[in-house]
Amino acid sequence: MHNAKPTIVLVDDSAAMRTFFEQVALEADFELHAYASAEASLAFLDNNRPSLLVINVMMPNKDGYSLLKQLRANPLHQDTPTVMISSKDYAQDRVAAKELGVLEFVAKPISKKALRSLIEHYVDAGGGPRE
Amino acid sequence: MSEAYLRFWGVRGSYAAPHETHLGVGGNTSCVELRAGNHLLVCDGGTGIISLGEELVEADQLHQMLVVFTHYHWDHICGLPFFQPAFSPDWRIEFFGPGDTAADIERRLSDQMKAPYFPVETETWMADISYVEPHDDGMRHGPFEIRHFNVHHPGVTYGYRVRIADKTVVYVSDNEVQFLKTSIAKRIHEFEEDEHELLERMVSEQRSAELAAIENVDILIHDAQYTPHDYSKKRGWGHSCYVDTVNLAIDAGVGCLYLYHHDPTYSDDQVAAIHRDCLQIIAERKSSMECHIAREGLKVNL
Repeated sequence: MHNAKPTIVLVDDSAAMRTFFEQVALEADFELHAYASAEASLAFLDNNRPSLLVINVMMPNKDGYSLLKQLRANPLHQDTPTVMISSKDYAQDRVAAKELGVLEFVAKPISKKALRSLIEHYVDAGGGPRE
Repeated sequence: MSEAYLRFWGVRGSYAAPHETHLGVGGNTSCVELRAGNHLLVCDGGTGIISLGEELVEADQLHQMLVVFTHYHWDHICGLPFFQPAFSPDWRIEFFGPGDTAADIERRLSDQMKAPYFPVETETWMADISYVEPHDDGMRHGPFEIRHFNVHHPGVTYGYRVRIADKTVVYVSDNEVQFLKTSIAKRIHEFEEDEHELLERMVSEQRSAELAAIENVDILIHDAQYTPHDYSKKRGWGHSCYVDTVNLAIDAGVGCLYLYHHDPTYSDDQVAAIHRDCLQIIAERKSSMECHIAREGLKVNL
């Protein structure tokens, strides 16, 4: 998908984090699809490739790793740019994320300033991921 | 129903500590037995599972069990290669733990027995071994109703909520309580004033999730590894300061807390001091919660 407006998908059970992203989306002019669970996100992700996928690690039922493994098995998402976020700032989790081809592992909390920088770094103004 | 009980076979974290100064509490690593009549559920396979296995073979009464693992860090699986029932054709053993598939679980448990780390592989296990296919709907093993949930520890780590004999027992061997709260406190300077409300909401969400997992349970067995002094140096190691553990349990309305996953460097006297401090916190907060040290060999009727 390569729209004029970048599309970012956030999967995070934290309502506060989803609000956080929504506020940044308003200021930064990208289309945000935010889901509270891995299961809910699949309805969109099964057929759509965002400019950037942001996945929280610890979620009830299907966790972020399981979700990303499932997506990577879909040809549509083999190379979808992905960032993982987590309150778990542990080396083992960073390694696990790296093994799944994640661009960056961001330990929560993340400021709006840092989130804007992250998006600018990984998503170009044309709506697609940076080459 | 026949007698139901839980028994601690290993209560140490990180590594076994069979020192004379530690034997009152116990030196074996994590393993808890839950028994209800002829049904056996085992939580974790640290060195404590070795003695459990010896007793089971000696007693020759039961011949099947379910073993659930919180995670695969070495101290929680290192007793398995010496677990006698696994080597006996008379036994049927099911294993469950973190993993996307039953094959994942099998691989994670068997890798430690591959050369050069061990002289024989799991193919030498003569018991009828099976690995439970992961699902989110919970499990039933005889009269045990078991649900797992994610906890805050490196890698995917589970806590287990077990319903048995009208009691709820929750086993959280490894968990770092309130980690996001302290992360925010350490990094608050990165945030603008108008972001603070959202940060408070995030802390509140995490607290609510922590409490919901253990709310009003009869018995909580929980990581209480560090003193405040040691936790100040070991924050981010995936374990709790006992002060956070006891306050969490009080806030959640837990009936009885067992302090667990004792640091291997702490002597019996040091663990006793931790226990006294916990009792003081409980008294200061005017809570009716019971609090005990999980000790090797301790049997608790359910």
